[in-house]
Amino acid sequence: MEPSSSLPPDQPTARRNFLAVAGSLVAGAIVSLTPLMAGLAFFLDPVLRKKETFKGGDADGFLPVTTLSELPDDGTPLRFALLADKVDAWNQFKNQSIGTVYLRKFEGNQVIAFNDTCPHLGCKVDYQEASQTFLCPCHASAFKLDGERMNHIPPRNLDTLEVKTDSNGKVWVKYQDFQCGVEKKGAV
Amino acid sequence: MNSLLDWLDVRTGYKALVHEALNEPIPGGAKWKYVWGSTLTFVFAVQVITGFFLWSAYSPSTLTAWESVYYIQHVMSFGWLVRGIHHFAAQAMMVLLGLHFMQVVIAGAYRAPREVNFWLGLVLLQIVLGLSLTGYLLPWDQKGYYATKVATNIVGVTPVIGPQLQQIAQGGTTYGHHTLTRFFALHAGVLPALLVGFLALHIYVFRRHGITVSEADQKKPIGKFWPDQVLMDAVACLGVLATILFFTVWKGAELTGPADASEAYSAARPEWYFLFLFRFLKFEEVDKLGLVFGALYVPGAIMGVIALMPFIGKWKLGHRFNIAFTFALLAGAAFLTAIALKEDSADKNYQAAVHMAEFEGHRAVELAREFGIPSTGALSLLKEDALIQGPKLFARHCASCHRYNGHNGLDQVPMREVEENGEKKQVEELATAADLGEFGSRNWITKVLTDYHTTFAPLKNSGERGERFLQGEMAEWVKDNAETLKKPENADSLKSLVEFLVAEGGREELQPFDPALVEAGKAIFKSGQLANGSFTSNCADCHTLASVGEGAGPGYPTLTGYAGKVWLTEFIKNPAHDGFYGSERNLMPGFEGKISDKELKLLVDWMVGDYFRKK
Ligand code: FES
Repeated sequence: MEPSSSLPPDQPTARRNFLAVAGSLVAGAIVSLTPLMAGLAFFLDPVLRKKETFKGGDADGFLPVTTLSELPDDGTPLRFALLADKVDAWNQFKNQSIGTVYLRKFEGNQVIAFNDTCPHLGCKVDYQEASQTFLCPCHASAFKLDGERMNHIPPRNLDTLEVKTDSNGKVWVKYQDFQCGVEKKGAV
Repeated sequence: MNSLLDWLDVRTGYKALVHEALNEPIPGGAKWKYVWGSTLTFVFAVQVITGFFLWSAYSPSTLTAWESVYYIQHVMSFGWLVRGIHHFAAQAMMVLLGLHFMQVVIAGAYRAPREVNFWLGLVLLQIVLGLSLTGYLLPWDQKGYYATKVATNIVGVTPVIGPQLQQIAQGGTTYGHHTLTRFFALHAGVLPALLVGFLALHIYVFRRHGITVSEADQKKPIGKFWPDQVLMDAVACLGVLATILFFTVWKGAELTGPADASEAYSAARPEWYFLFLFRFLKFEEVDKLGLVFGALYVPGAIMGVIALMPFIGKWKLGHRFNIAFTFALLAGAAFLTAIALKEDSADKNYQAAVHMAEFEGHRAVELAREFGIPSTGALSLLKEDALIQGPKLFARHCASCHRYNGHNGLDQVPMREVEENGEKKQVEELATAADLGEFGSRNWITKVLTDYHTTFAPLKNSGERGERFLQGEMAEWVKDNAETLKKPENADSLKSLVEFLVAEGGREELQPFDPALVEAGKAIFKSGQLANGSFTSNCADCHTLASVGEGAGPGYPTLTGYAGKVWLTEFIKNPAHDGFYGSERNLMPGFEGKISDKELKLLVDWMVGDYFRKK
């Protein structure tokens, strides 16, 4: 809008008028933008602030899952739920499943872990004993036993997770979720 | 750019609208006294904006309302700012309403043809009052909860339909989830929508008649709304915003402990701008005439007079009456508010209750931060917290005899009513047992050993049996040995003995214990041999070191574990046990069966200082 154009052109106090216009615009901007900007920043809280989704991991964020002896020696994947204290905004729910993973054990007690969330759009993949593949029921993504994708429906291979074993034979996994639908594996 | 605006104008005609809106002539020129309506509109806009954002994070139910407000206020980015602005803008709105109203009455702006707009203004006033009332409850904290209870109970005394109205407002016969959903629907939906509607009408009718200009100003040149008056309005809004921000930063929006229906909040007060009404209802004469009279008929009559102002103003002295009435009303309200504030500031128990609610607020936040809030809500954090529950249990179960640093655990002094020369008076209830504020500490033990009489002095208030305590064997022992113990040469010996006894209790908060002192203390306990001189009889002659509760016999309390958790628990359950005072001498009731195990644990944990402390 052009409010100043609506003034009589032969205004004798044009200078005073200009100051009044500028003053009201500045003051108006300050008063209207202050609550608006504060509110917007508040609304953007989810991206402004890193939030915990669970509590109870060790110092590096690893959670105990199972023991080496529970895992088959031939590398057959087994699914496990990870238990921790789930954090949802202000609430903390004790000892809840915060996610599920597939673990495979190889010779020399090497263990690998997959997040069982399909990197396509986030359904859970299932291990098919007969074909020895991971299949996603939603849009038919398929993955080999080592997580490599078998078709081009998923944008990337199954997401691996960090694993460690301790001297007691306990297997620990650092649980993370990753963004779906993109080629690059990026934690969310 | 211009062609685009023209294109839009052809299709919407917005230029004419803007022109109309901005070029309103102001006879006599722009004036500071015309800014109040604009500042009100501005504050309302602020409330809509901040309210929307708060809405995006608020969760109305009894298990999530306080919790989400806590999260907004203490965790979310800029939550304190958005909530603070919303909180203080609401109060600014009340002040501005008062100013706007005064300006209207003084200028006689209610006169024909502006009566309808005056009434529209009164409707807006009611809506704003409704907004502040419904908003006060939403955080579901102690203050808001109990203040709002008063309001809904007043609704309940409305003749004929009161109870039904109250139930509709509360969403049931008591407060619960649905009270919040309803209040929230009113606060964030119905009332703002009504306010927008009536505000539009108010402004429309106002524009139809224009500003009320005094006779003197009518002769002066005509000014323009834009930019002269807009500048003044904007500067006034800036001032209002600055005030709101000042309070937001300085005080911040308050959040007391989560609402607890089982724990009456004895300092319930409405927001400050309703305080005069609260005080008015407290007058005995008003009280006698009934709640309906004070809370409904009187305010109703006042509103009636105000609504009739346009007619009253037509009479010869009517305008003067209206102004006088307005000022009398304001003066009366200010006076009542002042009395209320003065009385409250002189009332120690009121202060203690306010302090408690604030403390519970801080504590709940501290615990929520540390442990997260369980799905059973933040109140359960407080219910499991010894620091909060201990003093309450002490006040309930112990304070009829004991004191805690001179009060009842909750900073209140138990009082009792007596008649003196036919006049009723409140006097302090005398304690009949020891003050337990320092119980079990090094200081306490030192006091018992060197100044038994002062420590247990309150026992003389409990009659003959208490006297017997004060002249018992331990009292005699202290009388005989205090001098020796207090000798400067024996300072280390006393310290050792105290250290040994404190270490016996094993209390976490008193650690670390000095092992060398403990050893030396144990030797003194057994032998009575001090650096300089010795006891008339050894501690171990009477107090055997045995497992808790199995002493040397009635009247010789076991000192193993003295004042520690287990000892204290057993003692409170049954002080008349032979391991403690024995049934002959004991004055204290046993609490076994009178207090639940959980409560006893909370009480003891508090007394021994075992609760979460922020590092
Ligand atoms: S989500 Fe797995 S295939 Fe689409």
